[in-house]
Amino acid sequence: MLDLFTFGFMQRALTASLIIGILCSVIGVFVVLRGLSFIGAGTSHAAFAGVTFGYLTGLSPLGMAVLFGLGTVWIIHGLYQRGIMKLDVSIGIFYTFTMALAILFLGLMGTYNAELYGFLFGSVLSVTADDLTVMAWLAGGVLLPVGLFYKEFHFITFDQGMAEATGIAARGFFFLLLNLIALTVVVSLKTVGALLVFAMIIIPAASAYQLGRSMLGMMAYAVGFGVAASVGGVLLSYRFDLPSGATIVLLATALFFAAVALSPKRRRTAAPDCAHGG
Amino acid sequence: MMSPEVIRFDHATIYYRDRLALDDLTLGVGPGEFIGVIGPNGSGKTTFLKAILGLVSPARGSVRVFDCACDRLRCEHRARIGYLPQKDAIDPHFPITVAETVMMGRYSTIGLFRYPGRSDRVIVQEALAAVDLVAEARTPLGELSGGQQQRVMIARALAQRPEILLLDEPTTGIDAPTQHAIMELITRLHRDLRLTILFVTHDINLISPIADRLVLLNTRLFAAGSPASVLTRDILAQVYGKDVALADHEAAPYVIVNDHHA
Repeated sequence: MLDLFTFGFMQRALTASLIIGILCSVIGVFVVLRGLSFIGAGTSHAAFAGVTFGYLTGLSPLGMAVLFGLGTVWIIHGLYQRGIMKLDVSIGIFYTFTMALAILFLGLMGTYNAELYGFLFGSVLSVTADDLTVMAWLAGGVLLPVGLFYKEFHFITFDQGMAEATGIAARGFFFLLLNLIALTVVVSLKTVGALLVFAMIIIPAASAYQLGRSMLGMMAYAVGFGVAASVGGVLLSYRFDLPSGATIVLLATALFFAAVALSPKRRRTAAPDCAHGG
Repeated sequence: MMSPEVIRFDHATIYYRDRLALDDLTLGVGPGEFIGVIGPNGSGKTTFLKAILGLVSPARGSVRVFDCACDRLRCEHRARIGYLPQKDAIDPHFPITVAETVMMGRYSTIGLFRYPGRSDRVIVQEALAAVDLVAEARTPLGELSGGQQQRVMIARALAQRPEILLLDEPTTGIDAPTQHAIMELITRLHRDLRLTILFVTHDINLISPIADRLVLLNTRLFAAGSPASVLTRDILAQVYGKDVALADHEAAPYVIVNDHHA
């Protein structure tokens, strides 16, 4: 079993999994606590539309994924800020619009492209050294602002209105957070695929939500769950010849149910019901 | 010589979400005053506070705080205004402790690219001591009662070291003994810290014995002055309808709104 760590492709796959496990979990904490699950799903479709557009036109698929992902977030946020549309409605529109674009671009290509379908379903074992370099840079570009503005993100996640009232540039930080979510989706696209990427953002953070007593504590738990799921998923998928993206997400889901079973919050919630019963 | 006003509305007309909320409001608030802001639903009370915070700007006229136009209020000005918004339901499972919640009151003062230091932690302890919650510092916020959570939010506002404290219906949805405990706390903070307090409430009888002045809003400034001068049968009947009775009660009149729904 240990000899698999000597393979270059496996080393790259595990490094990619580690990056995804950490990045998605950290961003996922804000997404889960701020109730932004739907925007990540919308962004992953937009990023996939960008990839297909890149393959169709010969432009950089990753560059187009970044452009489409960020562009979608900017438009959704613009509609929301101007009061034209509720956030979930505008996300819903772009969620379907960008998927329709992706299907259109796929149709226009006319030929089957295995690499493209790797972005849809995930293909962590085919991650190249160049992919890893780009992933590392993008991950750094997301984690650095999170570290620099942790307290501002903390405040707007808990109470954006109050943060604004005390002088925090809350709307600006919310916009920055949406951009960081979009970049996280793009970074993770090749490893877990557009269909499953958001699971990696939501599920480890949702598992950590069951156990964390503070946001920093929740982040630590989330990273633990995320890395365990992504690295463990890659190893399992190699060992049993399973699709990597699906294995990672299924393992993350199993960990989620374990966290729910062990959750002290669940016990605290159950306690008053017993009391009322008496 | 009179002290300069810390808040000044000068013929301010303010719209909130395209609806006229306050019309041609002129009012000054001096340092250290305790103002009770009353009025029926939709009378512009919350907009009045949001205007002081610079979150809404006047379409006509001006609002000045610390002699600075509200729509130009910079972060350091807003940090001098403690604000307790209307009580929203707090997610009981949000992973945050009492001390972390209060520390948020320091964030705008700490500024960008910096983290809370020892002096900030001391201020948080002092704020918790002021609301008698030092022992609960490490307790998850969601495990506290509604009244305790409201005291945490007051501590968060105090951690800003504010000169002005804006309270938007802080006693709504809280049982009567806890309401009185919170009123005692706010009265003590006003006395000890010499805060300028603007207290928005529907409960006229709760605020009238302790406020220096009452401001009665009904989209415009309907009346302002001592509780005795504002709480007259004539004024209240014009704003709340005819079924209002007054009874003498210690320092301030006691208002009884008759209920015909039964």
